[in-house]
Amino acid sequence: MKKVTVPEQSLGEKVVKHAAAIRVAMKESVYPLTATVFYPRERKKMPDNFRGYLMFDPDKCISCWECAFVCPANAIQMKEAPNKRYYPTVDYGKCIFCHFCVDSCSGGALKTTKIHDVAYKDMGEMLTLTEEMIEEPEIIREDKKLVEYEIDEQDLHLKRTREVDTLFVEVTPPVEIPMVSQCIEPGSCLGCRICEEMCESGAISSIIERQVIKMAIDRDKCTGCGLCVKECSMQILRLVRK
Amino acid sequence: MAAIAIGESEWEVAIPEKPLKDKLYFENLKAKVIDTNLCSRCLTCACICPVDGITAVDGVDFPDYEAKCTDCGACVRVCPRFVYEPKSGLGSYIEFIAGRSKRFAGQDGAMVTELLVSAMEMGMIDRGLFAGRDEKWAIEMFHVRDPQQLAITTLGGTKYTFADVLPALKKAVRFTKRGVGVVGTPCIVSGVRKLQQEFPIFREKVKLVVGLFCTENFHYEDISRYLKEKGVDFDKLIKTDITKGKFIATMTDGEVKFKVKELEEILPSGCNVCTDFTAVESDASVGSVGSAPGFSTVAVREEPAKKVIEYIKEKGYADFGEADTSQLNFLIGHKKEREKNITKPI
Repeated sequence: MKKVTVPEQSLGEKVVKHAAAIRVAMKESVYPLTATVFYPRERKKMPDNFRGYLMFDPDKCISCWECAFVCPANAIQMKEAPNKRYYPTVDYGKCIFCHFCVDSCSGGALKTTKIHDVAYKDMGEMLTLTEEMIEEPEIIREDKKLVEYEIDEQDLHLKRTREVDTLFVEVTPPVEIPMVSQCIEPGSCLGCRICEEMCESGAISSIIERQVIKMAIDRDKCTGCGLCVKECSMQILRLVRK
Repeated sequence: MAAIAIGESEWEVAIPEKPLKDKLYFENLKAKVIDTNLCSRCLTCACICPVDGITAVDGVDFPDYEAKCTDCGACVRVCPRFVYEPKSGLGSYIEFIAGRSKRFAGQDGAMVTELLVSAMEMGMIDRGLFAGRDEKWAIEMFHVRDPQQLAITTLGGTKYTFADVLPALKKAVRFTKRGVGVVGTPCIVSGVRKLQQEFPIFREKVKLVVGLFCTENFHYEDISRYLKEKGVDFDKLIKTDITKGKFIATMTDGEVKFKVKELEEILPSGCNVCTDFTAVESDASVGSVGSAPGFSTVAVREEPAKKVIEYIKEKGYADFGEADTSQLNFLIGHKKEREKNITKPI
């Protein structure tokens, strides 16, 4: 077993170390070095792609259900809207803020915000309906200062500036790998043309000539959204790199 | 780096000709098969229908087809009776044997269960479709992926009611990695073969098709009503069997016996035109006729089934004995007679 002992120090060393300790104590009593952000009068500056409260743009949604499928916490449920399309709702009682939904959204309909401070009165209220996600929520702002963390070689410093951060930022979406839908097993195609019906960009077309249906996917029009891949009952469509 | 399989951007689908030109394919199917009482209720059409619209609640139908049907013609392409070529006789076989599983209990020798489980152990298939039943003796389909699941005792044994095997097959084919094993009556076997003939996916994924010897099958509503009238209590029912022309329902407190002929009044119209007793299109057919009590008769017809039987022999999972084809002649002849019931379409 190793025994911890007080290191041997000369009188000179002891004086120097005590003096240094007194200096730190004096400094802290006058100008304390803390890492506390005085919320709500101050707000910490969050990165632009902070995973916070979700916003939704129904115009960009293609109702592909990918967000609901990918959600590991089962927080997203699709609800039918009056226009017969299905849009997501988020239960913040379940959400773990992984934002897989934002990453998986092929149309960019789900967006992140820097809002991290939302309070609810009860569990039922935590289920956020689609219509509540479209408009920016009303927030009572008391903050006057913006706090940034700065880490140098020795310590963490708080840099305070007199400005108010915007919580809704347009994040430039990551560069997507262009994908295109292809039929991997033409022999098993039923010819039901559900893919054509589903396709919103009009990339899939069919021509019936006597006893033959000619199916075609326009590589230029296909946005790689994957709706046809999901709907194909024979599962013979795949997204491949363009 | 593995080569990326890239599909086609343009392809063609051949569609069958419509006998009734201005009607949807389903209307053609209805006119030619369902309304003419040819339909066997094999549900191959329900399996392939892209909108899952075809149901079999009270006969095969497609409620709301005017709104939902995409008129793709898949149902017509796969229906074994749209262009009906009745099959009959013993069919070709490599081996004709009797077997009794040492591991499982079933109707006779439990060879159907043994075949599928052995195929699973060999790695030929990774799931088998089994028909189970609930306490009311209604059929439920089970995807068996591990032999341990067969602890559910109701999976073995014959059920004398229609099972929705084929609607479950599409899902099985979608999720399987290695292959699927299916069990079914001759009409279901014909449906699977038709699917395999039309669509490569089913050719690749359905690896083992076990047929059952079948004289006829009954609709659940009909047979349950009939048996209740005869005094069968479903809560106490253990097993149903047809031997030597008699239907025997074994219960915990006795038996109910009557002649099979009496069931003719509830014989489904589709069975009335079926001439196939031994499931001639299967990889292996199994039944009780032709072997000693406690044994199943197995007609090994195709190479995959032959491999499975060899595996069973090698591992010693079952006892094998002699089977006598001549005992089948009566029932084969009995079903062959039904040929006269098929009215040729005009």
